Amino acid sequence: MSVSRASTASGPVVWAGILATTCLLLFLLQKVLWLAVPFLFALILYYFLFAPMQWLMYRGLSREQAASAAILAFLLVTAAYLALLLPWMASHLAGWQESVVRYLHGGQALLQRSLHGLERAYGVLADARLAEIADAKIADFTDHAGQYVEPVLTSTLAWAPSLLLTPFVAFFLLRDGGRFQHMLGRAVPNAFFEKTLYLLHEMDRTTRAYFQGLLRLTFLDTVTLALGLWLLGLPSPIALGLVCAVLAWLPFIGSLLGGLLVVLVAATDFPEAPQMAYAAVGLFLLVRLLDDFVYLPLTIGRSLHMHPLITVLMIFVGGAVAGIPGLMLVMPLLGVVRVVGETLGKIVTDARLMARFRHGRRLRRLRADIDLQS
Amino acid sequence: MRLPRLKSALPKHLSRLKALSLFATLDAKGLRIVDGLLHERDYLEGEVIFDEGEVGEALYIVYQGKVLICRQGQPDSGRVTEIDAGGFFGELALLDQLPRALQARAASACRLGVLFRADLQNLLETDARTASRIALQLARHLGRRLRAARTTTVEELDLCL
Repeated sequence: MSVSRASTASGPVVWAGILATTCLLLFLLQKVLWLAVPFLFALILYYFLFAPMQWLMYRGLSREQAASAAILAFLLVTAAYLALLLPWMASHLAGWQESVVRYLHGGQALLQRSLHGLERAYGVLADARLAEIADAKIADFTDHAGQYVEPVLTSTLAWAPSLLLTPFVAFFLLRDGGRFQHMLGRAVPNAFFEKTLYLLHEMDRTTRAYFQGLLRLTFLDTVTLALGLWLLGLPSPIALGLVCAVLAWLPFIGSLLGGLLVVLVAATDFPEAPQMAYAAVGLFLLVRLLDDFVYLPLTIGRSLHMHPLITVLMIFVGGAVAGIPGLMLVMPLLGVVRVVGETLGKIVTDARLMARFRHGRRLRRLRADIDLQS
Repeated sequence: MRLPRLKSALPKHLSRLKALSLFATLDAKGLRIVDGLLHERDYLEGEVIFDEGEVGEALYIVYQGKVLICRQGQPDSGRVTEIDAGGFFGELALLDQLPRALQARAASACRLGVLFRADLQNLLETDARTASRIALQLARHLGRRLRAARTTTVEELDLCL
């Protein structure tokens, strides 16, 4: 006699719950962003250092020793890198400032040429004095740049200390992650034990897959952009492609910044050939389309076993609910909530598991009462 | 004269693992790794450990007490065998994701160790030496079961679960 079981596929109610919970969590995370972002970085660091830690453990170190050694090595490498980088940055700072100004002027010149060209072609735009208005707006922005830059710098400085939590949190994730899993397993009734452990493994797999997917996406973006920029003849195509691909970790906003960077470089290095800047814009639009509708669903969407349509829709929803942080957090959050929701749905709707849970509870109650009754 | 090689004594919990045929070939380092992967569960007499038809996710090791393997819902008439302390069951779950062939119930209050398939798979990728020793012991165990199948009934063969 075998026990009949409910279908394992998640129904619309479970999926509605998953999407609603993801939106609610995004909304709440936005309120404690100072904690959520260092935690997210710590999670990335955890997955980055987990393999070296395991390697050390399999060579005889205890988990505590291996976690300490991995974090210590990371901090030492970071400190050494910064010690080398900071003097180099200080010596090149003046040159970079000049380059930034030069590229901004290049972009401004391109904009002016384009607007004057449009005014010559279309009388309506000339009557509207489009180039003059744009000139005034840019001059106004340049005069009051401090007003726009100051809040960004202030919020960055306010955020910086909380980022120091990252290695601290990563260390405890490395050291106590297994212990936490065992503790959680012990708290679960016997009837749900296998399903719960499966859930924990799936959550781990999902978050790992997300970050691996993100790295694959960065690689694909870098290669595509570098190839396109190289074909156009722009300088440093690989470096530019990599910077744009990393900026694209911020969906939409990052892409905009990356596109602006490429256009500024094209307009400044080829001032007499505005078609280069237009071609760079075209390339960037093409890569963005590829990224959002092909690469993203194929890498991150596939790693989370998510339908491409849901992936794209949830990115829009994440942006609407929680702004830029929402865009960044929506996919990993949805992946984890999906695993939890689907597993809980399976447990709660499995009549046999619930019956076994009640049976186990009854046995424990009887055992607790037995000497009291006698 | 050659001095006898001194062996460092294993802690009690590792000695308990070493006594199990599945982990008998592991060294102290391997035993420590496996010990970190195992979960301990306590069951009361009559409590169901897993059902027939349930997708297997883990292997169970009996530390204390007895476990009854039987047909679904027939602990008396459908009894197949009993596993004592030191034995293990549900090992096929480590190899595939097929449904369990029989039901497992606690024949007395018992303490079990649980090794998950996902943990063993992860071990195969990260410490192939330890994992392959476990896999070899598992293969030997299944080989013994197959040889015994010639002289036993189909139900006993199903013990592989």
